[in-house]
Amino acid sequence: MRPEIREKLARMGPDEQVLLRPLVETSRTYYVMAALMVVVVLWGLFAYYTQVRFGLGTTGLNRPEYWGIYIICFVFFIGISHAGTLISAILRVSKAEWRRSITRSAELITVLVIGFGAIQPIIDLGRPDRLFNVIFHAQMRSPLLWDVISIGTYFASCTIYLYIPMIPDLALIRDSGIKMPWLYRIVAVGYRDTPEQRARLEKIIGVLSIAVIPIAVSVHTIIGWIFAMTLRPMWHSTIFGPYFVMGAIYSGIAAILVAMVVLRKAFGLEQYFKDIHFDYLGRMLLLFSLLWFYFTFAEYLTAFYGGEPAEMRTFWAKVTGPFAVPFWTMVAGCFFVPFILMARASTRTPKGTLYAGIAVMIGMWLERYNIVVPTSLNPRWELESVGYYLPSWVEMSIMLGAFAGFTLLYMVATKFIPIVSIWELKEGREESVREVSERVATYLPDTPVPAGGVHG
Amino acid sequence: MTRWGMVIDLAHCTGCAACEVACKSENNLATVSPSEADGGRAMSWMRVMAEVEGEFPNNTMHFYPRPCMHCDNPPCIKVCPVRATYIDDEGIVGQIYPRCIGCRYCANACPYTVKYFNWYDPEWSDSEREHLNPDVSVRPKGVIEKCTFCHHRLQRAKEQARVEGRELREEDYQPACADACPTKAIIFGDLDNPTHHVAELKEESRAMRLMEDLGTQPKVYYLRPRE
Amino acid sequence: MKPNRREFLWTIGAAATTVGLGWQARAVFADNDFADPGWAPGIEEHINSACLICPGRCGIRGRVVDGRLVSIAGSSLHPVNQGGICPRGIGGVQVLYHPDRVRVPMVRTGARGSGEWREIAIDEAIAQLGDRLTTLRAEGRPQALAALTGYAAGTMDDVWRQFLSAFGSPNLVRDAYDDGTAAVMHAMHGISQPPGYDLERADFILSFGAPLFEAWWSPLQAFAAYAHREVGRNGQPRFIQVDTRFSRTAARAHDWYGIRPGSHAALALGIAYVLIRDELYDTTFVDNNVAGFDDTIDRQGRRRPGYRSRIMRHYRTEDVSAATGVPVARVTALARAFADSAAPVAVLGSDVLHDPDGMLAGLAVHSLNVLMGRINRPGGVVFGDPPPLASLPRIAPDPTTRAGLASDAVLPAAGPMGNGDPAMRLANAVAAADPSPIDTLLLYYANPLASSARPDTWQRALERIPFVVSFSPFLDDTTAQADLIIPDLLPYERWQDAPSPSSYPHPVWALAHPIVEVPPTTRQTGDVLLTLSSMLGDPMAGALPYEDFESLLRARAEGLFRAQRGTLFGDAFERAHHRAMEERGWWLPEHGEFRSFWNDLVTRGGWTDLFHDETDPAGVARTASRRIELLPPAAAEALRTVGLTREPYTDVGLGAAEHGDEFPLRLIPYRVSTLASGTLGLQPWIAEQPALHDVHWVPWVEVAPETAEHTHVGDGQAVWIVSEQGRFRARLKISHGIAHETVASPYGPRHPDGTGANPYTLLDGRVDPLTGLPSWSTTFVRLEPA
Ligand SMILES: Nc1nc2c(c(=O)[nH]1)N[C@H]1C(S)=C(S)[C@@H](COP(=O)(O)OP(=O)(O)OC[C@H]3O[C@@H](n4cnc5c(=O)[nH]c(N)nc54)[C@H](O)[C@@H]3O)O[C@H]1N2
Ligand SMILES: Nc1nc2c(c(=O)[nH]1)N[C@H]1C(S)=C(S)[C@@H](COP(=O)(O)OP(=O)(O)OC[C@H]3O[C@@H](n4cnc5c(=O)[nH]c(N)nc54)[C@H](O)[C@@H]3O)O[C@H]1N2
Ligand code: SF4
Ligand code: SF4
Ligand code: SF4
Ligand code: SF4
Ligand code: SF4
Ligand SMILES: [Mo]
Repeated sequence: MRPEIREKLARMGPDEQVLLRPLVETSRTYYVMAALMVVVVLWGLFAYYTQVRFGLGTTGLNRPEYWGIYIICFVFFIGISHAGTLISAILRVSKAEWRRSITRSAELITVLVIGFGAIQPIIDLGRPDRLFNVIFHAQMRSPLLWDVISIGTYFASCTIYLYIPMIPDLALIRDSGIKMPWLYRIVAVGYRDTPEQRARLEKIIGVLSIAVIPIAVSVHTIIGWIFAMTLRPMWHSTIFGPYFVMGAIYSGIAAILVAMVVLRKAFGLEQYFKDIHFDYLGRMLLLFSLLWFYFTFAEYLTAFYGGEPAEMRTFWAKVTGPFAVPFWTMVAGCFFVPFILMARASTRTPKGTLYAGIAVMIGMWLERYNIVVPTSLNPRWELESVGYYLPSWVEMSIMLGAFAGFTLLYMVATKFIPIVSIWELKEGREESVREVSERVATYLPDTPVPAGGVHG
Repeated sequence: MTRWGMVIDLAHCTGCAACEVACKSENNLATVSPSEADGGRAMSWMRVMAEVEGEFPNNTMHFYPRPCMHCDNPPCIKVCPVRATYIDDEGIVGQIYPRCIGCRYCANACPYTVKYFNWYDPEWSDSEREHLNPDVSVRPKGVIEKCTFCHHRLQRAKEQARVEGRELREEDYQPACADACPTKAIIFGDLDNPTHHVAELKEESRAMRLMEDLGTQPKVYYLRPRE
Repeated sequence: MKPNRREFLWTIGAAATTVGLGWQARAVFADNDFADPGWAPGIEEHINSACLICPGRCGIRGRVVDGRLVSIAGSSLHPVNQGGICPRGIGGVQVLYHPDRVRVPMVRTGARGSGEWREIAIDEAIAQLGDRLTTLRAEGRPQALAALTGYAAGTMDDVWRQFLSAFGSPNLVRDAYDDGTAAVMHAMHGISQPPGYDLERADFILSFGAPLFEAWWSPLQAFAAYAHREVGRNGQPRFIQVDTRFSRTAARAHDWYGIRPGSHAALALGIAYVLIRDELYDTTFVDNNVAGFDDTIDRQGRRRPGYRSRIMRHYRTEDVSAATGVPVARVTALARAFADSAAPVAVLGSDVLHDPDGMLAGLAVHSLNVLMGRINRPGGVVFGDPPPLASLPRIAPDPTTRAGLASDAVLPAAGPMGNGDPAMRLANAVAAADPSPIDTLLLYYANPLASSARPDTWQRALERIPFVVSFSPFLDDTTAQADLIIPDLLPYERWQDAPSPSSYPHPVWALAHPIVEVPPTTRQTGDVLLTLSSMLGDPMAGALPYEDFESLLRARAEGLFRAQRGTLFGDAFERAHHRAMEERGWWLPEHGEFRSFWNDLVTRGGWTDLFHDETDPAGVARTASRRIELLPPAAAEALRTVGLTREPYTDVGLGAAEHGDEFPLRLIPYRVSTLASGTLGLQPWIAEQPALHDVHWVPWVEVAPETAEHTHVGDGQAVWIVSEQGRFRARLKISHGIAHETVASPYGPRHPDGTGANPYTLLDGRVDPLTGLPSWSTTFVRLEPA
C-alpha cells in the first residue's frame, strides 16, 4: 500500500482503520483464491457454451426427468438470498442491537446470490435466445412469470436496501480519499452526513426494512408454488409456500454463519463478529432446525397418511428406495447435526456454528434435490417407465462455476465496501447505549412517588 | 360446438404399435441414437403402454395406446410462461414451436407425461429428408413437442370441404394413428356431434378416461377390455 | 481526477468480451432456428400398391408428393388387410430412403470383404455376369451355377425356377418361410400347400404357437379377424393361444395356455381324447371322409390300432396334464369349448414343426380340425386355389440343359417329408466338397452370414465359391463379401406381383409397381434375369421371352382376365356384393378388353376371388384313398426310411424335456411383430422402440424373476447367453410371462451395421429327421453376468 494512503488511514479512527484496510491492502492468498475462482468460472462458461451450441442433450436430463441440477440450484441460491435482507430487516425492525456489525455482510450475500439464482432457470432454457418471449408473450397464469416479477422486484429492492445504508460509509471513504475518489464521489451522491440528511436516511431505511419483508416472503413462496401448482405427486401440496420460505431463511442463516467465520478469519474481525453474535445466530439456527423438522414431518406425514398410490411411489422412492441416501443425509444435515450442535451452549461457538452451517447448507441443497428428482422420475401414471438421472459434466461444471462466481464477486465486493457498517457501529457506540437503556426503562413500571407531603 | 376427441377400444388393441410408427411417419418425428434412446430421449407422440399382470402361466396383459389427451382443462397450458401451448376453440391442444422457450414446465405439469423435448437438433440424412411430410414442420432443438391430433389434417380437410362447398364429414378428418390401426381400435371424431361414432362410444358403460379424478377432462376415452 | 490506465483497460476488456459472446450466441442459434423441410407442398397422389416386407403382402396406399414416397398406409381395397397396416409396412419409407442404400452396381476391386468397390454401369454389370454364365454353359457345366433365394414373392419365384432350369442347373436353393405345414397337409390331405384358415368366419380360433399377431404368414389377416365386431361372444371370435411363453399373441388372445416347450402335440391330443371320450367330435364327417380313425386288420390278420385307440390309450387327460403342465380341468374345459363352438378351428403354428418331433406333432395338432370336420367349411381350414394366372412358356431344353439338370444337385436331401433349412445344407455341402461344385452363386434376398445358424460354415463355403453375386440393395454382411453387386430396386420402385400367402383361404393377386421416381443407375433383379435370358439365347430366351417384368406380369394377368371369375379389388361393399353374386352362380365381366382390365388392376391394386366352393370334395382330400389320412402312409414310410421305430399319436409331446445342469435353461427364440428379419436394422423408428419392451436397438432376453436372481443380474443389465455352440450378449429383461426353466430371446434385432445378436447361432443344430427343419427350442443355455 502506498505510503500516503497509509498515513491517511492512520489518521482515522480505530474502526475505520480495521474496516477500511481491506479496501486498500490485498494479501497474496486473496489473489490466489481469486485466480482459482476465475478459472472455475471460465470453465463453467465454456460448459454453458457447449450446452447452448449442441442443445440440452449435453446435460443428463431426459424424459421424464425434465428438470435437474439447474432448477435445484435455482431454488437453493434464491433460498440463500434470504440471508441478508430478510434477517437484517427483521433484526432492524425488532431493533436488535447486536445486528449492527453483521447486517452489511448479510445483505451483500443476498444481492450477489440472487443474481446467480436468477440465471439458473435461464441456463435451464432450451431456447435462451427466446428469453424475451417472456415479456413479448407474457402469459400471466404461469407461476414462472409470477416468479420473474417477484424475483425482479426482490432484486431491485435488495440492491437499494443494501445501497442506502451504505451511503454514509461510501461518503466516509470519499472524504478519506484512500481509494478511487472519482468513483466514490459518484456513489456517495453528495452525502454530507448533515443531521437532516441522516434523519432522512434513517427514515428511508426504516421504511425499506419493512417493505422488503413481504417481498422476500413472496419470492420463495412463489418458487414453492412453481412446483405446487402442478399435479405431480409430492409437489402438489399447500405446504410448499411456507415450507420454502422457512427453508430459505434457514439456509440463509446458515450461509451468514459460514460467511462470518470466513470473513472473521480473513480480515481479523474478531472484535466485530463476537462469540455473542454466533451464539445468537446459533439460537436462531436451533429454532429453524426445529421448524424444518416440523414442516418436513407435516409434509411427509400428510402424503403417507393419505396413501394415494401415485404419492406413495414417490414417497417410498425417497424414504427407502433409490433416493434413501440423499433423503436421510438431508435429514441429518438439516436436523440432527444442527440441532445437536446448537442445542448446547458449549458448541454454539464460531467453530460449532460453522459445522452446523455447512451441514445445513448441504442438507438444504439435498432437500431441493429430493423435491425435484424423485417426483420427476416417478410419473403419476404407473405404466410410464421409471427413468434415471445422472447429471452430466456440463451441469456439474456450470454449478461449480456459479458457486465460484458468487465467491469471486463477494471477494471483489470486500475490496470496495467495508464489510461491516462503520457508521452504524459508531451510531451504536454513540447513541444506542443511551437509547436502549431509555427503552428498557420504558418496559419497566414507572418508579412510584412516596405518599404524604413534605414538612418544612 | 366441435370438440375433437378419440376413443380407444382396449378390447381391440393388439399392441401392434402401428399407431406409434404411423404417427412418427406422419409427424416427422426424429429418431435419436441408440444410446440417447436408452437415456430416455426417444420421441413417440403415441406410445403403446403395456399393463402385465399375474405370473406364468396365468398372465394377462392390456395395452394402452397413449397420445396426448387433449384435456379440456389442460394443466399444461396454464403453466406456460409464453403461451407456446394453447387449446383452440375445437378443443385441440397445440404447440407453437417458434415461440417455445424450452423451459419444460408444461412437460412437468402434464400428468400423462406425453410431452417430448428436443434435446438436440433433429438429424435427417439427405435421403431421409425425402420422406418428411411437407405438411408438418420439423422441430428445432430446445423446444417441446407432442401429439397434435394431426391438426394439419384438419386444416386440409376443412379446405377440401370448403372447395367442394360442403360440410366437413367424419371420415374427412382422421389422424394418422386411427388410419393405421389394423383392428380399428382407435376411433376419432367430434365428441359433441351425435352423428359421429365417438359421441356414442364415449357413453358406453366400458368408457373411461385416465385419471379422471384430476379434473383435466381428457378428450381421449378408453373402452375397458371386456374380459 | 480521471480513471487511471489500469481501470480504463479493464473496462474496455469487459466490453469487448460481452460483444464477443453476444456475437457467438448469434452464430449458435442462426443454424437451428426454424429448419423447414425445404419444399412447399407439391403435386400429391395416393397410389395403391403392395407391401413386400414380410410374407403377408398387404395392399398399401402410398402418399407420393413430387415423386417422393412420404408415407405408407394400408389399402382399404385389399381384401386381406382391409385398410390396416403394421409398423413394418409403414416403416417401408425408411427402408426406401435408407442412407446406406446401394443404388449403383459395384465390382470388387480389393480383396473380398475389404470394402473396396468400383461403381459400374448397369449394362456393364449385366454383361459381366452374362459372360460368366455363357462360359459356364460353353464349358458344359451349367450346374456350377447356384442361386440362393430368400423372400422371392410371386412370379419372381417362378422366374428363378424358370431361369435356372432353362440354364440347366438343379441348384436353385429356395429358403423362405418353409414352416413345414405344407408337408403335414400333403401327408394328410394330399394337398401340398400350407393350410388356409377362414379366420373371418371362425368363432373359436385355437392357435398352437402360431404367432398370429406377430410373425404369422399374414398378421393382418389375423388382425382383420380380431377387429370383427359382429360374430362371437365378445363381439369377436374367441382367440385362444397355446404358447411356451406369454407371447404378444398370447397377451391379446381371450385366453391362453402356457405349456412346456415341445408339448403342443400332447395338449392337442389331450383335447382329442376328451372329444372322442365324450363323443363330441363330428362322427358323420369322420365316417365319410377320414381314414385311419378306427383300428384295422392287415393281411396277416394283425390288428393295427387306429387313431381312436391310440389316443384313448396314450393321451388320458392326466398324462397330458403331466406333460404340458396344464391342469386336467383346463384341458377338459378347452376341449368342451372347442367342441361347443359353431365354427372352431385349430391353427398349426410353424413353431410346432420346428422341433425334433415336428412332423408328428404337426399331424397331432391338425387332427383336431379333422375330428371336428372343420375341413373346407366356412370358418374352418380351407385350401384356397392359386390365382388363375397364365403360365410361363414350357422350356425347350437343349443337350447342355438336359445334362446339367441330370447331374445330381449339390443340395443333399433333407428328409423324406420336407426340405428344411436348405441354405444351411447348401453351405455344409460346399464347405465339405473340394473343389467347390459351385462356380457362381447368386444371392437374392439372402444374407446367410447374418441369418444362418452357422455363419462360420457359410464363411468357409463362400471362400470356396469363385464368383459371388448379390442382388441386395444393401451392403449386408454377405453382400459385403460379394464380387459383384447388382442392387435390386426396392418394392416401391419395381414391378412385382404379391399373391397373398395360402393362410388366406381365397386367391388374391396384388400388384406392386413403381410409385416413386426410379433410380436410373440400376435395375430390378427380375429385369436383370430377363435381360440375361435374352442375352444367353435359347433355351433361356425362349423360357423367358419378355422385354421387362411389367410385360411379364401383364402377360400372366391375361389369365385372370380370361378366367371368368373373381373381381378387381374394391371396397367392403363391392367385396360383399361380388361374393353374394358368385354364390348365386353369377359372374358379370366388368371390362370389355384386357387393356382397361390391366389399367384398372394396377390402379386398384389387384385381383381376388372371394367365392369358394365348399361342396367340392377335392377341397377335403386329394389322397389316393380320396380320404383324409389320419395315419398317413407317407409318414409310416418316412419313419421307416430314417430308421425310426415310432408311430404317430403314441408318444409325441409326452417326453419330459431333458435337462443339463451345466446348461439349465431352455432357450426359446421368437420373432416379435416389430422385427423383420433382414430389414429391421433399416427401420430406426422400430429399432428405437420395440413397443412394450423398453429396450432400444439392442437384443434382449426375457427371464423369470427367480432365474434373474440366481444369475445375480438386474433388470436391464447385460448378460451372456451361453450354449454349447457359443454365446451372445443381450440385455436382461425380467418377465413374469415365462416359466423359470426357460428364457426367450427375439431373433437378433440387427443394427444397420449388420451387428447384433442372433440366437440362431446358439441352436443345438438338431433337426426333425422327417422334414429336416431345424429345431428352434431344444437348445439349453445358461446365463452369465456380462
Ligand atoms: N414380423 C415378421 N414376420 C415374419 C418374418 C419376420 O422376419 N418378421 N419372417 C417370416 C419368415 S421367413 C418365417 S420363417 C416366419 C417364422 O415365423 P414363425 O415360424 O412363427 O417363427 P417365430 O415367429 O420365431 O415363432 C416361434 C414361436 O415358437 C414358439 N416356441 C418356442 N419354443 C417352442 C417349442 O418348444 N415348441 C413349439 N411348438 N413352439 C415353441 C415361440 O414362443 C415363438 O412364438 O415368419 C415370417 N413372418
Ligand atoms: N437373426 C435372425 N436370423 C434368422 C432369422 C431371423 O429372423 N433373425 N430368421 C430365420 C429364417 S426363418 C429365415 S427364412 C432366414 C431368412 O434370412 P435371409 O434369407 O437372409 O433373409 P433376410 O435376412 O430377411 O434378408 C436378406 C437380405 O435381403 C436384402 N433385401 C432387403 N430388401 C431387398 C430387396 O428389395 N431386394 C433384394 N434383392 N434384397 C433385399 C437385405 O439386404 C437382407 O439382408 O433367416 C433365418 N435366420
Ligand atoms: S395400432 Fe391399433 S392395435 Fe395396434 S397398438 Fe395401436 S391401437 Fe393398438
Ligand atoms: S395430456 Fe398433457 S399435454 Fe395433453 S393436454 Fe393434457 S396436460 Fe396437456
Ligand atoms: S416448454 Fe415451451 S411450451 Fe412448455 S411451458 Fe415452456 S415455453 Fe411453454
Ligand atoms: S393423433 Fe396424430 S399426432 Fe396424435 S398420436 Fe395420433 S397420429 Fe400422432
Ligand atoms: S404385415 Fe407384412 S406385408 Fe403387411 S404391412 Fe406388415 S410387413 Fe407389410
Ligand atoms: Mo423363414
